[in-house]
Amino acid sequence: MESLLKEDVRLKPFRFTIERGKIREFAMAIGDSNPIYYDAGTARKEGYRDIPIPPTFPTAIEMWGGLDFETLIKLFGLDPLKVLHGGQEYRYFGEICAGDTVTCDTKLISSFEKRNLRFITIGIHYKNSDGKDVLYSESTIIERGGSKNE
Amino acid sequence: MSELKMIQKPGITHTQLVKYAGASGDFNPIHTVVPVGEKAGLDGVIAHGMLIMGMAGEALAEWFPRKDLRKFKVRFSKMTRPGEKLTIEGRATGEKWEDDEKRLTGEVSVKNEAGEQKLSGRFEVKI
Repeated sequence: MESLLKEDVRLKPFRFTIERGKIREFAMAIGDSNPIYYDAGTARKEGYRDIPIPPTFPTAIEMWGGLDFETLIKLFGLDPLKVLHGGQEYRYFGEICAGDTVTCDTKLISSFEKRNLRFITIGIHYKNSDGKDVLYSESTIIERGGSKNE
Repeated sequence: MSELKMIQKPGITHTQLVKYAGASGDFNPIHTVVPVGEKAGLDGVIAHGMLIMGMAGEALAEWFPRKDLRKFKVRFSKMTRPGEKLTIEGRATGEKWEDDEKRLTGEVSVKNEAGEQKLSGRFEVKI
C-alpha cells in the first residue's frame, strides 16, 4: 500500500457526463433553490449554454466517477472511522454545464504526518471534450491518529 | 470592506444527510449510520463537510453570478450535526488582477446559532 503513496501517483483518468437531473438532485440536497440549477430556459436567459453545475458539484463527479470513499480508503490504507475532510479548493477556468462530458486526471499532491494526523492532498484536473482545462479541484483528507502501523 | 447579505439555512436533518450522500456519491457511513458515528466516537452522525461547503457555494451564487466565480477554497473547522441551523456570512476584502481580468476577493464563513464556525474560506469572482 505504501508504494502507492510515493510521489507522482496518478490514478486512472475517468470520464463523466453531466446530466440535468443529477444537478437538480445535488442542488435539492443542499437546499439551494437557485433557478439556474432547475430550469434550462432560466439558465440560458442568464447566459449559460445549459444548466450550469453548482460550485461544489465536482465532488459528485469525483465520487460517482470513480474516486469514491471506499476507493480512497483502500488506495491509501486509511481507517474509515478516522477520516475527515480537512479542506477543499476549486479553481474555475471554464463553464461546465449539463450535457458536457469531462475527463478527470487525478494526482497525489502530498502525503505526510504531523502531530499524529495524516494529511493526504489530491488534485484533479478537469478537461472538457475539446481538451480545454475547465476546472481544478484539490482535496485534503485527514486521518486522525496517524497511520495504522503505530 | 463591504459585508454581503447573510443567508440563513433551515436546520440540518438526518434525511438531508441521506439525500446528500446519494446526490454526492459520498457514502461514508459516518454521515448516515448512527451506530457507525457512535463507533467513531462522534456521538452520532455528522454532516458531510462538502454539504456545508455546498451551502457556502449557494451563497456565492446568490451574491455573484455563478459564471463569474473563479476560486473557492475552504477549510473545515468543526463538525456539524443534525439539528444545527447554519448561517452563511461573507465579505468583500479587496480587488486584484489575474489572467487579464479584474477580480474581487472575499471571505466566506459558515456558523451555527451559537456562533461556532464550521468552515472558513476565500473566494475570487470576476468583476
